[in-house]
Amino acid sequence: MKIGLFIPCYIDAFYPQTGIATLELLEKLGQEAEYPMDQTCCGQPMANSGCNRDAKETEALFIRNFSKYDVIVSPSGSCVHHIRDNFDAIEQTDEVRHVRKNTYELVEFIHDVLKVREFPWAEFPHKVGLHNSCATLRSLRTASMSELGEPFFSKPKTLLSAVKGISFAAPRRPDECCGFGGTYSVTEEAVSARMGLDKVTDHHDAGAEYIVSADTSCMMHQQGCAERNGVPIRFIHIAEILNGARA
Amino acid sequence: MSNRPVPHARLAAEFLKDEPHRHFHDERLWDMRQKRDEQMHIMPEWQELREQASRLKEHTLAHLPQYLEQFEENARCNGIHVHWARDGAEHNRIVEKILKDHGHSSIIKSKSMITDECEMREYLEPKGVSVTETDLGERIQQLDNELPSHVVVPAVQKLTTDVAKTFARYYNTDPNIDDPHALAEAQRNAARPVLLSGDTGMTGGNFLVAETGSFVVCTNEGNADLSANLPNLHIATLGIERLVPRMADLGVFIRLLSRSALGSPITQYTTHFRRPKKGGEMHVILVDNGRSERLGMDDFWTSLKCIRCGACMNTCPVYRRSGGQSYGSVYSGPIGAIIDPTFNARKFSTLPFASTMNGSCTNVCPVKIDIHEQLYKWRRVLAERHEIPFVKREIMKMAGRLLAQPTMYRLAISGTEVALKTMPRFVLYNYLNPWGKHRELPHPVKETFHSWYKKNRLNRTKTQREETQA
Amino acid sequence: MSDETMSARDVIMQRLKAKKSPQEGAYPLPPVVTLGDQDASPERFEASLALMGGRMLSLQDGEGIEQAIRRAFPEMRNLCTAVPEVEGTLRIEDLETHEQADKVDVMVVRAAFGVAETGGIFLSEVELKDHLADVHLAQHLIVLLSKNELVGNMHNAYQERSEFRTAGYGVLMSGPSATADIQGVLIRGAQGVRSLSVIWA
Repeated sequence: MKIGLFIPCYIDAFYPQTGIATLELLEKLGQEAEYPMDQTCCGQPMANSGCNRDAKETEALFIRNFSKYDVIVSPSGSCVHHIRDNFDAIEQTDEVRHVRKNTYELVEFIHDVLKVREFPWAEFPHKVGLHNSCATLRSLRTASMSELGEPFFSKPKTLLSAVKGISFAAPRRPDECCGFGGTYSVTEEAVSARMGLDKVTDHHDAGAEYIVSADTSCMMHQQGCAERNGVPIRFIHIAEILNGARA
Repeated sequence: MSNRPVPHARLAAEFLKDEPHRHFHDERLWDMRQKRDEQMHIMPEWQELREQASRLKEHTLAHLPQYLEQFEENARCNGIHVHWARDGAEHNRIVEKILKDHGHSSIIKSKSMITDECEMREYLEPKGVSVTETDLGERIQQLDNELPSHVVVPAVQKLTTDVAKTFARYYNTDPNIDDPHALAEAQRNAARPVLLSGDTGMTGGNFLVAETGSFVVCTNEGNADLSANLPNLHIATLGIERLVPRMADLGVFIRLLSRSALGSPITQYTTHFRRPKKGGEMHVILVDNGRSERLGMDDFWTSLKCIRCGACMNTCPVYRRSGGQSYGSVYSGPIGAIIDPTFNARKFSTLPFASTMNGSCTNVCPVKIDIHEQLYKWRRVLAERHEIPFVKREIMKMAGRLLAQPTMYRLAISGTEVALKTMPRFVLYNYLNPWGKHRELPHPVKETFHSWYKKNRLNRTKTQREETQA
Repeated sequence: MSDETMSARDVIMQRLKAKKSPQEGAYPLPPVVTLGDQDASPERFEASLALMGGRMLSLQDGEGIEQAIRRAFPEMRNLCTAVPEVEGTLRIEDLETHEQADKVDVMVVRAAFGVAETGGIFLSEVELKDHLADVHLAQHLIVLLSKNELVGNMHNAYQERSEFRTAGYGVLMSGPSATADIQGVLIRGAQGVRSLSVIWA
């Protein structure tokens, strides 16, 4: 299986350790993953702003970069959601369909495709609050949604439960959006920041030392809100914990 | 009506400034969502009910002309006068004429979103007709001259102290009352004489039943039963999409409506009107006002399935923190954001962007409207029609170009890296002003993933290859 | 014909027929469903009624209905009755004005049936002797209900009870008038009756 690694722009620029952990984790799990050097973005910022036409060239570049792989894996739920569900600014050729069908968010790839449940090298002796981004929760469906009353399941929690020493905080509103929303974070900054502060406060009040998520974009926003308001909580991507980070 | 785009972001920011209001609003609506969840959890058939409700509504909308004809015929047989209004203005003229024919001039009225949509009070009051809202929340909004904040709890953005001040102005009560019971009692006492002297009763309606020519009004206060039955003239206004085919279908909708809205098993009063009372006269006005046009929109027609429960508003994290007034419309929250642009695409062009597209609204909708997907589609429609700000359009165009060219993109990224490390804080926060207003920026890093990969994998692979070759 | 010369009805119908997006064949009429708990027991009714803010009024040993009402409302100045079982101080048929009804302390009526799921009771012009508004003007409401006239849930109600097809006015009251429009505080007795009590009879 030839894996193409998609590291979105903000991870590339601000959270390289998440990209590194993703790659190393895949390698630990016996996979060969390659990072195409010409990659930029999936086109989501333009598409979510309604400017779908402006995403066309970016989507085309994405296909040029990734169509040669059997699967594409990314540590970003929201980007994968865009590729899978909304990537339609370009013509839907066989190549495009192949890419859209075979792009996975890291947790679902490990959980559903590799079906790995053990990470013997991983130990994280901390209480964590799990943040499911809205894209992983309600689009990729990697966890049960509180609005539907469905039986509980959580792919990220299943994976994290194999990590030695970890424990989970129970926030009051586990499924509440943190308010990032891509360009929403700047177009409606006041509401967005309020939601972010409420989110980190909820986790902190539940005793979480860390917020862990499969979406760095949500955490970038939450971290900004926590730091500005002095909420003492740290942030870590699930890839880093599964890869063996201790703190 | 002003055509200027509703400044939702600014109005929401203002709403957030007052801690007690902000906090109460969020918690109150969240509590309604929690109560809704409790009802769902004790009903294993919940998802089946939603599916049935959705299919019934879709069927009805696909056959709307037949069902409207069937309703009209049956209602007429029952002795109800049926009127049709193409738009709000025509609706208001119909009401005016009915009143004129009877020499009437005072309407007592239960809560109805559609008469607000038609701006009926604004039309009738200058003509000497008094219109008194009898629902407590709607009355508060009327006295304050504000649109309803929420489809079910119109004054949910207010605290007891706000209501006390308003009532003091109009009912001569103590402006410092802090007991909601005392205020509700003041409203009851003020409303009774008005109810007893009103010459015309008006209600909205939640459902029209084609099979029997009847309509259903759901309230908790019982004010619709008083408003409709006290005078000898009852006028009910309903949108043409309110239809259900059969009486038996009401079981599905009534079981979902109040549970979705407030988390109560049913509204205190579920009232079925089928013919005028003895000696009375009954009129039903069926209003289009853009609905037929919406039914022709491939991407948006299912928004007509809405039964106005407000569940999407209660769950919406943006609505809970913005307040209903920030939507500048009769219909606020997620459902408002997808139907308001059908009334005025420019004025309400900001509303589909007042969302993080988290999708919770879609999950709670009892008739399964794909609300967040329609928000996404509206963004596209509005961008294509140039109904989004010029600056945003330009930024997106530039971003689209930049992200399509790896070399230029790399240059830009390295620029950011340098900027984050070297630029003084105030310059950065001005440049990235909206982000930085209430948030810190991400921390600068030593190197991008891109350069790490180049160093640690590409070069390593190359070295290994060279070693193997050697 | 242009919009100007056609009736509003015809214009709306024409618009609907011309533009409608959903196609008829794609959306067949789903069959009527009966879902969920259909338990029609008095115990379920009582629990639901309590949840909706209503209450049961049970007769003590040897006590008649009217005695029980007088016991529950000792301050009552008048008792308006729509049932033969209770004599009261005035009969609903004798109410001549709404102002008279506005002064009624307690009204007693018989419900056609009750719904166990919601604690709802059904009243129409038949039970109200055409005094549709007067029942809502009274301060308190007593409802006589037969245990034999209970349906399980709202599906059962609409499918089994013919009153929905025969009544001109039919209200399902589940508990008393209520509001939570001021700061979310639940208040019983907003505009209509302040309390609703059911007596099995």
